[in-house]
Amino acid sequence: MSDCCQLKLGAPVPDFEMDTFDPTAGDFGKVSLEELKSQGKWTILFFYPADFTFV
Amino acid sequence: MGAEVITVSCDTQFVHLAWQADEKELADVKYQMGADPTGNLARTFGVYDENTGLALRGTFIISPDGTLMNSEVNFYNMGRNIDELMRKFKANLYLSKKADEGCPSKWKDDGDKTLKPSAKMVGKVHEALND
Repeated sequence: MSDCCQLKLGAPVPDFEMDTFDPTAGDFGKVSLEELKSQGKWTILFFYPADFTFV
Repeated sequence: MGAEVITVSCDTQFVHLAWQADEKELADVKYQMGADPTGNLARTFGVYDENTGLALRGTFIISPDGTLMNSEVNFYNMGRNIDELMRKFKANLYLSKKADEGCPSKWKDDGDKTLKPSAKMVGKVHEALND
């Protein structure tokens, strides 16, 4: 994707849903922006290159 | 603090499990580990590297109404400063309640000096910060 379509600050983030591993529960789950918004939560996304590397 | 931290890479949730179980540095991890095997979410945020199939070190703060408030992207070989991320998050929380103020670069927490832009302050930021 080119730079033209990258989200800008102040712009609405499109809803997303992801599969997750939740270490607290020791189980798989799902997380969606829609759900977090409905809970009144701030969301911090922390991207990193890959598992089994240095973070 | 009212924020959901989600780590994301282009691995599956199954690999997340294996890594978290294997790596002692991750023994105390509490946050959910998100799976983005297609790279689509990384693309949305402009951190997907098409040449490697990996995500760059991007950090994004999204408000409860779904607005992108902060972004920081580091290249592969530079780590992020968690104190600075916390500073940005706290500043966002503060400013969400005090929309007419600004958090200057040295602002760290509630009670620290903020700025309220006004005609009087033009050219007098130094005085406003130090009075």
